[in-house]
Amino acid sequence: MKISDLIKTANHNLFRSKTRSFLTILAVFIGSFTIILSNAINSGVNDFIDKQVATIGGDSFIEVFPAAMYDQVAGMMGGGGNKKVKEYNESTGGFLGANINNEDLKKMRAVDGVENLEIFHMLSTEWMKLENQDKKFDVSVEYFPEGNFNVDLSAGRMTSNETGEGEILINEDWLEPFGFENAKDALGKTVEIAVKQTAKCYISPDNCIASAKATIVGVQAPGILSMDGNLHINQKLDNELYNLSMEGVPESSIQNYIAVGNVDPSKMDEIHKEFRRIGYEFITVDDTVGMIRTFFDAILIVFNIFGGIALLAAAIGIINTLYMSVQERTREIGLEKALGMSKSKIFLEFSIEAILLGFWGSVLGITISMIIGYSVNAIAHSTFLADFPTFELVVFNPLNMAVITVIIMAIAFIAGTAPARKASLKDPIDALRYE
Amino acid sequence: MNKVIEVKNLTKTYGKKATAFTALKNINLSINEGESVAIVGKSGSGKSTLMHLLALLDKPTKGEVLIDGIESTKLKSRDLNKLRNERFGFVFQQFFMNAGDTVLENVLLPLKIAKLPRGKRKKAAMEALKIVDLESKTKNKATDLSGGQKQRVCIARAIVNNPRIIFADEPTGNLDSATGDKITDLLFNLNKKQGVTLIIVTHDEDLAKLCNRIIRISDGTIISDQTVRKDLKKTASIKRETEAARVKKANERK
Repeated sequence: MKISDLIKTANHNLFRSKTRSFLTILAVFIGSFTIILSNAINSGVNDFIDKQVATIGGDSFIEVFPAAMYDQVAGMMGGGGNKKVKEYNESTGGFLGANINNEDLKKMRAVDGVENLEIFHMLSTEWMKLENQDKKFDVSVEYFPEGNFNVDLSAGRMTSNETGEGEILINEDWLEPFGFENAKDALGKTVEIAVKQTAKCYISPDNCIASAKATIVGVQAPGILSMDGNLHINQKLDNELYNLSMEGVPESSIQNYIAVGNVDPSKMDEIHKEFRRIGYEFITVDDTVGMIRTFFDAILIVFNIFGGIALLAAAIGIINTLYMSVQERTREIGLEKALGMSKSKIFLEFSIEAILLGFWGSVLGITISMIIGYSVNAIAHSTFLADFPTFELVVFNPLNMAVITVIIMAIAFIAGTAPARKASLKDPIDALRYE
Repeated sequence: MNKVIEVKNLTKTYGKKATAFTALKNINLSINEGESVAIVGKSGSGKSTLMHLLALLDKPTKGEVLIDGIESTKLKSRDLNKLRNERFGFVFQQFFMNAGDTVLENVLLPLKIAKLPRGKRKKAAMEALKIVDLESKTKNKATDLSGGQKQRVCIARAIVNNPRIIFADEPTGNLDSATGDKITDLLFNLNKKQGVTLIIVTHDEDLAKLCNRIIRISDGTIISDQTVRKDLKKTASIKRETEAARVKKANERK
C-alpha cells in the first residue's frame, strides 16, 4: 500500500468508531489545549516584557552604582548583598559616602564595549505648567542617554540634543490636564519646569524655586514602564535643571550615586568584571525584568506539567483505543496479510492511526485555544487592558504550535507502537480462522 | 504440462515434542495449470492445513512448495507477499469483507496493496464486478448485501488481480443450495473460460464432483487422488489463449 492510501485508510478507520475516537481525541485535546494556551499567554507576557525592555534601552542599558552602595541596596532588598563586616575604605566610604567620581567615570567610559555613560541626576522637580498658564502640576522627570532608546510614541519624535533647546516627552495622562484634544495637539507646545534650589533655601526659604523652559516633542504611548509617571527629558534640559538645583552648592559636597549608559550586550560579562575592578557594580534591564520573567516561566512550567500529565493519560487512552481496534479488526488484518500486505505496512497502518489521534487532538487544541485566546484579547482590550493597545495578552506563535503538534504526534506514535506491533504480528491463518 | 504448484515431502507439525501433532505427513503433489482440484476430507483431516501451505499462508515444517517452479521457502517475506498478491486469489466461507467499506473498495483491496494507481485500480475492479454481475452495487456498503452477493463480491476481489490460482475454502458453505450453485458456476466458468487454476477445499461431495480432480485426505495423508474427467486437450487450448490474454492484460496494467 502507498503511504497516501495508508493515511486514508487509517483516517477512515478512525471515523468508523466515532465516539471512541472522539473521546480519545478529546483526551489529547485537554493536554494540547493546556500547553498551547499557557504557552501563548507566556509568549504574550514575554513579548510585552521584551517591548518594555526595548523601551528603556533594551539589553544594552545599564545602571551603575558604587560597589559599597550596591551592597547596601542589595542587602536592603533582601538579595545576596555582601553584609559581612569589612575594613573601612576611604575611597569608597560607607553608603552615604559612596560617590561616582569623575576619574572613575572616565575609566569606566574607556572600558571596551561601553558606548556611553552619564551621571544620572536625581532631580527633585517641584511642578510643571504650560507656558502662559497658571495651573501647576506635580511632575517628576529623568534623563537617560537616548542611545538605544526605543520609545513607543503616539505622536511626535524622540528627544534629541541637536536643537540645543530643552525637550520633553509627555505621556497621554497629561493631555487632559493640559487641555489638549489629542497627542498631536501637544506637539511643539512650551512648558515650564521648576526645581528647588536647596542651597538658596537655607538663606531665603520663600524664594528658592527656579524654572526652565522645554518644548514638547513627543507623546509616549502607555506601557507598564511609563506608568511610574517619570517624563523623559533631553540632556540639555537635564543639565539646566540640575545646575539650577545645585546653584550655590560647593562642588566638593555634590555626590552622585548612579550613572546610566549603554554598553555592547555581548561584552556584558567582561564589562562587569572591569567595573568591579574599578569599584562599581551595575544592574541591567534583564536583572530588573528577570524576576518577572522567572515568575511567569515558573507558571508556564507548572501548566506544562499539567498538560504533560494530561497527555500521558491521553497516551494510555490511545493505547487502549488501538488495542480495541486491533481486536475488532483481527480478520481485516488477516485478510490484508493473506492478500500480500507486509508486516511493516500493517504496523504503519496502526501507527498512523495513533499519530492521527494525536494530530486531531492537537488541531482541536490549537483551534479552541485560538478561539479562546483571541476572545480574551478582545475582551481584555475593551476592559482592563484598554490603556495598552499594543499589549496582546495571548500571542500564538506558529512555530511553537507546530513543535507542540509534532511532539504530541510523536507521543501518540510511541503509544501506538505496542498495539501496532500486536497487529503486525497477527498470523493470517489464526486471524481468518472460523469462529 | 505446466506445473503451477509442486509439493515435495510436505510435513507440517504443530506444537513441540510430547504434545507435537503432525497435521500433514510427507505429502507429494503437483497441480497443473488449468486444473480444478477439490481437496476433500473430514474436519481435522489436514485439508485446511494443506491449503494454507499451498497458498503460502503458512510455512511447512519439512518439505518444499514450488509455485511456478519457484521454491517458496527460500523467498524473503517481501517476495512471498508479492507472489501471493500477484498470483493468488482467495475466496473464503466467511467472506471476510470490510463491512463499512463499499463493494468497490472491497474489490480493489488487493490492487491497493499492490500499489496500483487509483484510476487503474478502479477500472480493474469494475471489470471484475462486471464478471460477477454486480456492477450496479459498486457504491453499496458491503453489509447491505445478501450472502450470495457477498460471495460474488469476494470472487470479484479474488479475480481482480488476474490470478493464476484461486483458492476457495468452502466457498458455498454459508449459502443455500440455489445461491451456492450460482457461485459454483462462476468459479468453474473462470476455470474453464479463463484457465485459472481452481483449488477448492470442501467436505461437500457434490461440489467436489464438479472438479476434474479430487484429492482425498485423511489423518494428514493423501488416501486417493483421482482425475475425474480427462478433457485436458480442451483446457489446454483455452489455456494457451488465456495465458496470452493474461500476459497482455498484465502488460497493459504495468
